[in-house]
Amino acid sequence: MHGIYCIISLLRLPLILPSPLVFVPRPTASTADSHFEGFDAEDDDAVDEEPLDHHAIRSPPLTQSDSQPTPDPETQSNSDPNPVPTSDPLPQSDLQKPSTTTFEYWDEDEFEGLPVEQPPPEPPKVTENATPDDSDPKTTPKPQETAVSKKSFMVEIICGAFLIAFVINYFTGKRENENLALAWAAKFATKGSIFEKNFSLLGVGEGEDSPLLLKEGQNVFKFYASGRRYCQGLLATMELKSRHDLISKLFNLVVPCKDEISFEVYMNEEAMDQVVFAMAKKKAAKGMQKEVRDLQRFAGLVANPSGRKWVAEELSVISESKEVAGDLITEAVLEQVFGDKAFEKYGKDFISMHFSDQHPGTHKKMLLFKFGLPDANRMADMTRLVALVPYYIDLIGRYKLSSQARSKTEAARVKAAQEAYKELQNARQEALQKKKAERKKMLEEAEAKLSADAVRKKEAKDRTRQMKKAMPRMKMTRGH
Amino acid sequence: MSSHNNNSASVNDPRQPSAAKPFVAQPVSPQDLPVDYSGFIAVVFGIAGVMFRYKLSSWLAIIFCAQSLANMRNVENDLKQISMAMMFAIMGLVTNYLGPARPGTQS
Repeated sequence: MHGIYCIISLLRLPLILPSPLVFVPRPTASTADSHFEGFDAEDDDAVDEEPLDHHAIRSPPLTQSDSQPTPDPETQSNSDPNPVPTSDPLPQSDLQKPSTTTFEYWDEDEFEGLPVEQPPPEPPKVTENATPDDSDPKTTPKPQETAVSKKSFMVEIICGAFLIAFVINYFTGKRENENLALAWAAKFATKGSIFEKNFSLLGVGEGEDSPLLLKEGQNVFKFYASGRRYCQGLLATMELKSRHDLISKLFNLVVPCKDEISFEVYMNEEAMDQVVFAMAKKKAAKGMQKEVRDLQRFAGLVANPSGRKWVAEELSVISESKEVAGDLITEAVLEQVFGDKAFEKYGKDFISMHFSDQHPGTHKKMLLFKFGLPDANRMADMTRLVALVPYYIDLIGRYKLSSQARSKTEAARVKAAQEAYKELQNARQEALQKKKAERKKMLEEAEAKLSADAVRKKEAKDRTRQMKKAMPRMKMTRGH
Repeated sequence: MSSHNNNSASVNDPRQPSAAKPFVAQPVSPQDLPVDYSGFIAVVFGIAGVMFRYKLSSWLAIIFCAQSLANMRNVENDLKQISMAMMFAIMGLVTNYLGPARPGTQS
């Protein structure tokens, strides 16, 4: 009996196996965990269920045989062809007998296992298996089951929600950044604005109505202008907050950052004298002096000169000489932006500026300005700061050092150039030495290989000699 | 502008149309581009998700893929890495949710 049951279950197994493949959506960890056991469970389940069906189908006949109504048609149908009057009781008894025999027959054939084995496990197993089967795909019935499924879907819900939020934020943040950049361009680069009055070519494209801004990524915008005296061009780069990126937005809650705009002015070679000058907030200035190469080499912090109006308290000036600093910080600038009073009002977006004729990189003579960007609707706040750009282009374009200062700076530059040359030569020499060492190494390796080859050859020779020695004997033995 | 006489030299127009040079985008070598951390993290999470069948990891990989996609600057260059990360992430999710196929795939 048990054997048959096992065979049945084995036969069912391949039928059941593919079923999970087809019924895919079973995400829960619980099913995953119970998978190995689940095999048995599912088998039992299926086996149970099917016999159950058999039972359900077949049990009625059992009752039917006892009960009257169904046998009646049978008997009638059977009795109709039979001679009607003679045997009313007989056919019934006859029929009943076959029926009972058939039931016995049935019992032996298929019910073998069923009446004995199935009924006991039935009640508990049915309840057990039925509920998870229902709860898994539908995720409804029992509170415990729902709790489990909820927990297992938590990750999906959270991640899905975050993804949706990310996508929404991407579009809103992108729009916000674009609006900010456009607000800046509308304020400073349209007709009648500062840049339009100072540069003959605006925008990154060619032709009259070229786009003003070049978008690089979602948070970097570039603005280009050219065609002005003393300089070849100006490139403004707006680096905005990553508003389009929810993750960096969240990160920026912890580490705040600002919208910044930096101007690079490429000066004409002949238009800029030997000037190294920078100005920034006190802390930043110290950092710049240490880190920026040309400032580190040529310039130092300049103390506030006595008996003269000077920049606001928060600012400090780095310059090659006092003379340069004094000449570049003019009365007008102090009055407009950098003086004590004006700076409080207009300078809050100022970050730094840095002029140098020794800029590292392809273009040496450059003016760099760095400002913070105000909100889109407060763009006018930085008008004075932006106006510094053309002002300093003109100022530096016209500026000539006095002969005394010039000789000093000349000496410094010659010295620097010599150092650079020396460094270059050192580097070259080092490279040469490295090459030599490498070649030497290669040669040695090759030699070692050669020697190894030689050793191998010798060994091989020895072996052959020994073989030769051994050979005759072999022959001798074979000869016998 | 007129409010401050910064351009007191606006006696004459500072503009010089003849000196105008059109904008030339500076070619940026791939090495100079900022490192795509999110793409890298996405790949790491994606691989971890596939290896350990840890679905949270795969989901995180997808989220970082989205971030990397949002921060993409150079389409051809970055798309490769992102698509790789995306593949890993989706593969992880597929193996996770079509879970019962595991014994076959695990070999």
